[in-house]
Amino acid sequence: MSMLSVRDLGVAFGSIHPLSGVSFSVDRGQTIGIVGESGSGKSLTAMSVMGLLPLIGGRITDGNIEFDGQDLTNLPETAYRKLRGGRIGLITQNPMTSLDPLKKIGPQVDAVAILHLEMTPKEARARTEDILETLRIPEPALICDRYPHQMSGGMKQRIVIAMALAADPDVLIADEPTTALDVTVQAQIIRLLDDLVKERDLALVLITHDMSVVAQTCDKVVVMYAGRALEFGTVETIFDAPQHPYTQALIGCIPRGGDGTAKLDGIPGTVPTVMNYPKGCPFHPRCTRAQEICTTTQPEFTSYGDSAAACHFAGVAP
Amino acid sequence: MSNLLEVRNLSKQFSAPGGPFRKARSMHAVNGVSFDLPKGRVIGVVGESGCGKSTLARLILRLVEPSGGAVTFAGEDLLAKSASQMRALRAEMQMVFQDPYSSIDPRYTVARAVIEPFEVQGRKPDGSAKAEVEKLLEMVGLDAGLASSFPHQISGGQKQRVGIARALALRPSLLVLDEPTASLDVSVQAQIIGLLEQLRDDLGLTYLFISHDLSLVKYFCDEILVMYLGRVVEALPETNAPARHPYTKTLMDSTFEPDPKLRRLIAPLEGEVPSPFDLPPGCAFAERCEYATDICRVETPALNETGGHPVACHNPL
Repeated sequence: MSMLSVRDLGVAFGSIHPLSGVSFSVDRGQTIGIVGESGSGKSLTAMSVMGLLPLIGGRITDGNIEFDGQDLTNLPETAYRKLRGGRIGLITQNPMTSLDPLKKIGPQVDAVAILHLEMTPKEARARTEDILETLRIPEPALICDRYPHQMSGGMKQRIVIAMALAADPDVLIADEPTTALDVTVQAQIIRLLDDLVKERDLALVLITHDMSVVAQTCDKVVVMYAGRALEFGTVETIFDAPQHPYTQALIGCIPRGGDGTAKLDGIPGTVPTVMNYPKGCPFHPRCTRAQEICTTTQPEFTSYGDSAAACHFAGVAP
Repeated sequence: MSNLLEVRNLSKQFSAPGGPFRKARSMHAVNGVSFDLPKGRVIGVVGESGCGKSTLARLILRLVEPSGGAVTFAGEDLLAKSASQMRALRAEMQMVFQDPYSSIDPRYTVARAVIEPFEVQGRKPDGSAKAEVEKLLEMVGLDAGLASSFPHQISGGQKQRVGIARALALRPSLLVLDEPTASLDVSVQAQIIGLLEQLRDDLGLTYLFISHDLSLVKYFCDEILVMYLGRVVEALPETNAPARHPYTKTLMDSTFEPDPKLRRLIAPLEGEVPSPFDLPPGCAFAERCEYATDICRVETPALNETGGHPVACHNPL
């Protein structure tokens, strides 16, 4: 059984439906990548799993979210509070804004263990220092006594990861954890997350727009566009034999240096906003293979080995 | 091939004044940078945040006044020019900025934004203003119907195209591109890069391309300068030249291949970038470098061509 599984998730804000038909599952010791451009609904998916939709005025209208056999879709807020930041950890994109600038690092991380593991402040501090040490932060005791502004971006992101780990989660959701960081720091953080998945047998949901990060870390991939999943499968099939024209185009957008033979074409047009989701296949206005049927009918998923694509022409040679 | 741009020993020192609770201090944002940019070539400047790459771009256009060195553009010594002479020369050398959201006046229509460079120069376009706007929008692949739109009505990619159209308005020969795609989605980044390639071929432009993204620089540029803490540490004469500086190697190793079959164990760089206000003596990278020897902590290496392309390292790879 999967640690976390999302089936046919649909989300609405009033009469607007920014998310529909999103499914994925992730096991212990596994990393799933949710990849897509801005506005594709990646972060909204994360917020749905974290039960944070009511906070921004949204609600789940379809499908369900199951965590360790428990349905989260109708979980009361009091029960959600125990899970959130506890057994389900969240790492946000911007470490600069996810720490309280007025509090020292120590107490901010301690708070997680005090709240979720009912530790005394003293126990919690010992645990905090342990976690900082496993995250290869030099001199944890000293760091606990610092304020966020005294640290670099990479160090702050490690603190945010420490907070997510403090309550010993089973699932970690990382929403663009390295987007705000320099490449060498990104490499440090990605290595760290990889090690954590293996050592702690975590299930990691990695949300990113960067296909290279996906290629480096993920076991499985979901490709999202305009609030829908368009293709999912193992990382090897997604990169070797992508079926959906959007996935193919997205991979074609990655600059590959050196030989200068591969031309970057880009994808004509722009990602539609939630008010202008196209009818039929959401990608059809930008798709080079679009036919009449694509403008009217939303394609169903068709399976190809261990992947599946929602395209009328998946598997058909162009 | 003649050099359109020659940069010699260009430096910029910023000082932070002291106050009751702190000492005055200063830092070298750019320190002794030299390179030649031949006409029609594309040189990429790559480095992490704080390495001085954006300051370098601004120094070349004299948007920031250099503390030392020389910049020669098309045979003219830029640092000897008065402000008004400089303004006239800038028609030949334009810049595209990183953030298209803040580099265009939100109260200007697209047409006004694109024609503004002519007003600044006190010039008139050859034809009518309307025809010129249409021509420029067509050059950057924008529909002429967008001319009356305001920036908030168009997408990020379209805004960056407007930014490029503005830069092209005065028909410059050099474009300095400061992270022109950093705030865009990958599909739009690829469009913009494609457009820049096409404009280079059509108009014979020369580019200085500033970016933090090594794979993008490798794809787009002919030569690469790698910067670390204000200095050029390596000048790669072609994009697939092997790294000779340990820092360049780290940068290359930190860039992931977009192919799961090429996945590799990352050996991350240890430590943190030192504060530019408080640089250690010797090579600024020595503290984090696995090849560092005693001399690295004492003597700052200069760019040296012995044994291959220029690298500033006592123990090149």
